Amino acid sequence: MSLENSWIFPVVESIHVMGLAAFVGATVLEDLRTLEVVHWNGASLKPWAHSGLAALLLTGFVMFLSDAARYLHNPAFQVKLALLVAALAAHFTVRRPGRRSGAIVSLILWTCVTLAARAIIDFDV
Amino acid sequence: MFSPLLQLARSLQDTSFRFDLSQSTWGVPIIGAIHVLAIAWFGGSVLVSDPRLRRFRWIGLAILLLTGFLLFWSQPLRLYYSLFFRLKMLLLVLIGASALLPARHARLSMGLSLALWTAVILASRGIAYR
Repeated sequence: MSLENSWIFPVVESIHVMGLAAFVGATVLEDLRTLEVVHWNGASLKPWAHSGLAALLLTGFVMFLSDAARYLHNPAFQVKLALLVAALAAHFTVRRPGRRSGAIVSLILWTCVTLAARAIIDFDV
Repeated sequence: MFSPLLQLARSLQDTSFRFDLSQSTWGVPIIGAIHVLAIAWFGGSVLVSDPRLRRFRWIGLAILLLTGFLLFWSQPLRLYYSLFFRLKMLLLVLIGASALLPARHARLSMGLSLALWTAVILASRGIAYR
């Protein structure tokens, strides 16, 4: 299925970016709160993080399926995938409320996943 | 017709910085990656309405605007003539204008902001294609 030459691919990409803003935004903010860098009153951002993550995984999978071989050959994608596996594993294990080391690991890994993700475009052949 | 934006694009196009930026291997990828990180930073900070996050939010927005300007500098003329880039700039102006709405229209302003930012992201991805 080729999505390349239609409006569908940019729209899926855009939803991916919105999912990123919700998920990485909420996660980074909560990690910074754990580290006492920022302070605020109010409810947990978990619902935002989880719906953002669902959107990210779904749209990411759709984009991957549109041209799997091309993605697998892209060095930035390979790095991103490895970092993503590590970040997801850390997200649901070492990242716990109030645990500073978990927050630091989460901040570093999700930042690296985002940086590698943006580089996929630049390393596309 | 005199166009200050075209003038700006032309003068940026002729700078040696534009040349170095567009020729460098890592310049645009790194600035682009920071731009995306700033989207997450700014996006996360608008989820919380606590005034103590105001400074955090402004820093995110400043990084977003700064890296955005640098990305524009890397290919000013191509972007000036891109339909989606023009649409994005128009939407950003509308977002700025909607911030001036009186406080009693809080719900309207929130809905408007959500719709406009969604449109900005769609237009931004469109720039990559034409």
